[in-house]
Amino acid sequence: MSFKTFTIIRIFVIIIMAGLIGWAVTNGNALIPIPVVIAAMVILLLFRRGVKEIVVDERIYSIAEKASLIAFRIFGIAAAVTAATLIALGWDSSSDLYKIGLTLAYAVCGLILIYYIAYIYYNRKYSGKK
Amino acid sequence: MANASINNRIRRLRFDHGEMTQEELAQRVGCTRQTIIALEQGKYVPSIELAFKIARAFGVTLEDVFQYEE
Repeated sequence: MSFKTFTIIRIFVIIIMAGLIGWAVTNGNALIPIPVVIAAMVILLLFRRGVKEIVVDERIYSIAEKASLIAFRIFGIAAAVTAATLIALGWDSSSDLYKIGLTLAYAVCGLILIYYIAYIYYNRKYSGKK
Repeated sequence: MANASINNRIRRLRFDHGEMTQEELAQRVGCTRQTIIALEQGKYVPSIELAFKIARAFGVTLEDVFQYEE
C-alpha cells in the first residue's frame, strides 16, 4: 500500500471517528468515544503496517526533535506566565481562577519533570558510561 | 565552526550513474526523496550512517561525496 492510499484511509477513519464522537456527545453518552478512539487507533495502526514506502527517516526525526523542543519552550513559558497570572488574580477571590492557575502550574511542573527524566535517561544512554 | 560547511556531489554522482533518480537513490539508501532533495540543496547535513550509505550506493568513498570546508 502506498502512503497516499494510507492518507486517504486515515482521513476517512478520522471523519467516521469524529462523527461517532460528535453523535455520542450530542446524545450525552460519554462512554462511546473511548472504544471508538481505541478502535480507530488500532485500525490505523494495522493499515500503517501495510505501508511499505519509507515515509519517516532521520531528517523527519531531526525536524520533530527541533519542533518538540521549541514547542516545549513556548508552552512552558506561556503556561507558567498564565498560571502565575491566574493564581495572582484569583488569590483573594472565590473564583475558579486560582484553581485553574494551580492546575496549570502543576501541569507545567509535570512537563518539566518528564523533560528532565527523559533528558537524564538519554544523557546516560549516549554518555558512554555504564 | 561558524563558517564551516559540508558540501556534496550527490547530484553530479547521480547523473554519472546513469541519471539515477532521486527516488531511486532514496530507496537504495533507505530515506525519503525529500531528504535527497534537501541534501542536494545543502539544506540538510546527513548522519554519518546515511552519508556512508549514500557513498556505498555510488560505490565511492565518503570524501568523494561529501567535502568539509572551513
